[in-house]
Order: sequence, then structure tokens, then C-alpha cells
Amino acid sequence: MCLVRFALANIRRRPERFILSVLGIALAIACVTIVRTISASVAITGADSVTDVLNGAQLWVVPAAGVHYDPAAQALVADGQAPRIALPDGWTGTRVLSGAIELDGQSVSLRSSDQMPGGEAILGLPLADRLGVDDGESITVGGQSLRVGISGGGQSMTVPTAVARSVVGDSGWWVVFAPPGDEQRRDLAQTFGAAVGLPSTPDPSVTPDPGGAGLIYDTVGGSGPLTFEQKFSALFSGKVTSSTLGLISTIGLGLGFIIAVSSFLAAVTERRREFGIMSSVGLADEVLYFFLVESAIVFAAAYVVGVAAAGIAVALVIPGIATPTAWLQGAAVTAMFLPAMAIVGALVPVHRLLQERPVSLLEAR
Amino acid sequence: MISKGLAYGFLSARRRMREMVLPVVTTATGAFLVVLVFGMSAGISAQSASLGHAEELNRAVVLIAVTVLLVGVVEVAVATTRTVAHRTRELGVLSANGVPRGPVVAALLVEPVVAAVLGSVLGATLAAITGTVLAAMGFVATGLSYGGMAAGVVIAVGVSIVAAVATSIVPTWTAASRSPIRSLTAGG
Repeated sequence: MCLVRFALANIRRRPERFILSVLGIALAIACVTIVRTISASVAITGADSVTDVLNGAQLWVVPAAGVHYDPAAQALVADGQAPRIALPDGWTGTRVLSGAIELDGQSVSLRSSDQMPGGEAILGLPLADRLGVDDGESITVGGQSLRVGISGGGQSMTVPTAVARSVVGDSGWWVVFAPPGDEQRRDLAQTFGAAVGLPSTPDPSVTPDPGGAGLIYDTVGGSGPLTFEQKFSALFSGKVTSSTLGLISTIGLGLGFIIAVSSFLAAVTERRREFGIMSSVGLADEVLYFFLVESAIVFAAAYVVGVAAAGIAVALVIPGIATPTAWLQGAAVTAMFLPAMAIVGALVPVHRLLQERPVSLLEAR
Repeated sequence: MISKGLAYGFLSARRRMREMVLPVVTTATGAFLVVLVFGMSAGISAQSASLGHAEELNRAVVLIAVTVLLVGVVEVAVATTRTVAHRTRELGVLSANGVPRGPVVAALLVEPVVAAVLGSVLGATLAAITGTVLAAMGFVATGLSYGGMAAGVVIAVGVSIVAAVATSIVPTWTAASRSPIRSLTAGG
């Protein structure tokens, strides 16, 4: 408590330097938070897009040409014909045709369903909003007029298989459900793969061999604590953090740290005598604590300002990407860097001080 | 009188070149990024398009690059607070001799402006060289926009100077407004 009072008194003595270091670090933190918000938002999109495809299935059999996330359609789209497989006894599965089509100038992901009555199209709520259609209206897909039904939260339109085939051909994938009772077994992919002659992987970053027959993505097996959806979304967020954005924000954070260290070093040079007195009466350790507390106050203030600034900035500049959840996730990730930065930022100047004898500190002008 | 203040500021800025190295480097880093981001905007757009929301992500890249430049410039202001603290007695002598506040503030602002200009020009030059070399070696598939780079240079230099003056003015004003007797008896 005494240390906090001491630190506050020092901040009051040089308020402009405190404000400047908080401002510098806050700007750096705002940069990182913005990037992390974008990355969290993209990760949420990635997880949603794969959940939308799997719909609870244990295995996802993709074509040799692979699948990709179509940013315009905001959904996963198949790049080739679904592998020709015959489901072993007991397994259930659906061959889903998938492709991207243009509808009213908007790119839309189209999927097929065998269980749908003819003449209907089921749209996810966000897609219906994007296209501006209501329940019961009719839309034309592949020359056929379909009645719109709205269900679920996906970005895809589901139409009867015949309609889908007329528009996107045979492009698509399989979603496969294990025999009842076996859903939780970890060797599902191996068993199924052996039966249909396809390789399998629990890692979504593996792409199918273009010359092969296809690939089975295993959503229940694999080692490690992450679910398939989490691994899939990590692929998405990794793209953001390793992009230009990620690089620039990391440099910004580095500069913020330099500002913190430089302002602490300035404080050290100005207050050598004060610290000389402290260490000559045996309070050398307190000098360290003192700097740690001051550094913690600076970084905590900068964090609050930076995260708030990032929230305002994302709301104004990238309203389409940022959601409050993504912002909170971004803020949480940024908070992980802070303690290390605050501690190292305080240790550098203290290390400099403690290398000198109290007498030479007291001799300072 | 202001011009005399500026001349005095230049003389002392020349003497204190070593202290200006860190702010120049941080500003240069920010300016380097801004110029490169503007010059390679086509490549960045292509990268953003693969993630969706291309337009918004482009805006975010520019926002972040300019913010990083501001972070670099804040170091200039931190260096100014250091300078002011070092020169408290000198400021006391000036005001005791009847020098008004205006020229003193002008003299103190020369250093941050010089640091901001040096830093941003250095960063912009490095960015232009890096961009040209990368483009010549074929690393920039989407090409380099020289118009964009020029815009980046103008923004980098302009933002650096304005931000350096805006952040340095308060500490210099406070220091120049102190009564001479307080400045002269200060420890610094």
C-alpha cells in the first residue's frame, strides 16, 4: 500500500511523462487488440463455417481437389467431385453437393439435401438478411422457382439435390455418421477409411492429395485437447496473425515496450540520489518493488485505455468484422502479454541502478 | 524574437544529437511501416481478400500502421520530457534574463520537430529503398505503387511532425511557465 502511494506521488510529480508513457503503450496495446479482435472474429467465422458443414457428423469426406472458405459467400465450398464411396453397413451419411452461385449480385453458398421436399430452399438467417428475402417469398435458382424457408444460423442455402446438381454439378463432400453406439470411438476414421479405401487425418491443415481419391477429416479422433472445430478456426486466425496486420501490430507492441523502458530509464537518471538514499539505508529491494508497482500502474492504465480505444476503433472502422465477443477475446489475449512486459520493463532500469554502489548514486549531481 | 528562439533551439539540438537517436529510430520504424503499407497496398488487398472483408481489413491495416507511427512519435515526446528535466536550470537562467515564454517554447520544440523530421524521412527513405529492392528482386508479385508510396511519405512526415508538436507542447509549456527561481533551485 505504501509502495502504491509512493508510486502515485511520483506519477503526480511528473504527470506529463506518465501520460505520455501510458499513451504510447495504450496505442500499442490498441493495435494488438484490434488485430486480435479481427483474428478472433475470423476464428469464430471459421468455427461456425465448419460446424455448419458437419452438423454433428463424426467424419467429413472431402474431394481430392479439397474444399475452401469462400470469403464472398462466407461459407465452405467444395472444389471438386465428392469421392465415390459406398457406406459400410451400419454407417449413415449424406452426400452433400456444394458450390457457390451468384444470386442478385451476391455470392451464395449452395448445398443439397436429399430429405427436402421439392420446390423449397432453406436459407440460414444471416444469409436471408444478406439477400433481403423473407420466409415464404420465392427465389429462382438454376431456372427453378423455389419457396424460401428460413432456418438455422448458417450462411448457406440448402436446396433439393436435383436443383443443386443442375447448378453446381457433382461438386461436394460426404458427411458421415458412425453406427449408433460407436460415435465416441477414437478409431472411427481408421475403420471407415479402411472400409472405403481413403486416407484420414484429424488435422484440418492437411489438404487432400490432388491425385488421390479424397480425404477423410476425422472430427473425433486425434491427440491433443483441441476439437476439430477449434483446430479449424485456429487455421483461420493464424492467417490474420501471420499476415501484414499481425506483423505491424507486433512491431507496434515492441515500440510501446521501448517507450516504457525509456521513460523508466529517464526516471532513474533523474532520481539517482533518491534511490541512493534508499539503498544506503538498506532498502535496495524496495527499489525493485517500487519500480514494479509503478510499472504495473502504467501498464494497467495503458491496458484500460488501449482496450477501450481498440473497441471504439473497431466499432468505427471495421463494424462488419468486429463483434463484442471477438473484442473481449482480443482484449483477453492482449492481457497475456502485459505482465511479462511490465516486469521486464521495470527490471531493466532497476538492474542498472543496483549495479552501482549507493555512494556513487549519492554523488550524482 | 521567435526566430532567435528557433536559432537557439537548433544550436542546442545539434549539441544533443545523441539523445535524439532513440526517438529518431522509433519514428523511423513507424514511418517505414506506413510508407511500405501504402506502397504495397495492392498486395495487402490481395491478402485481405483471402480472409474476406477485404475493404474493412485494408482500412484496419492503414489504421494500425498510422497508430504504430504515433507510438513511435510518442517516444519523441518522452525524450522531450527528459530534455526539459535536464535543462531546468538553463530554462531558469533564460527566464531570469527576461526571455519571454514564446521563444523558450519555440527553442524547446525544435528538438522534437527535428527528431520527427529526421525519423520520418529516414524511415520513408529506407521503406522506398526496401520496396524498390523487393520489387526489383521479384518479391512483390502485386507490384509497387509509387503514387501510394508518395502518399505514404507525405502522411508519415506530416503525422510525425504534427504528433511530435502536439505531444511535446504541454511539457515544454509547463517548463517554460515555471518561475525562474524555482527552475534555478531545482536539482536538475
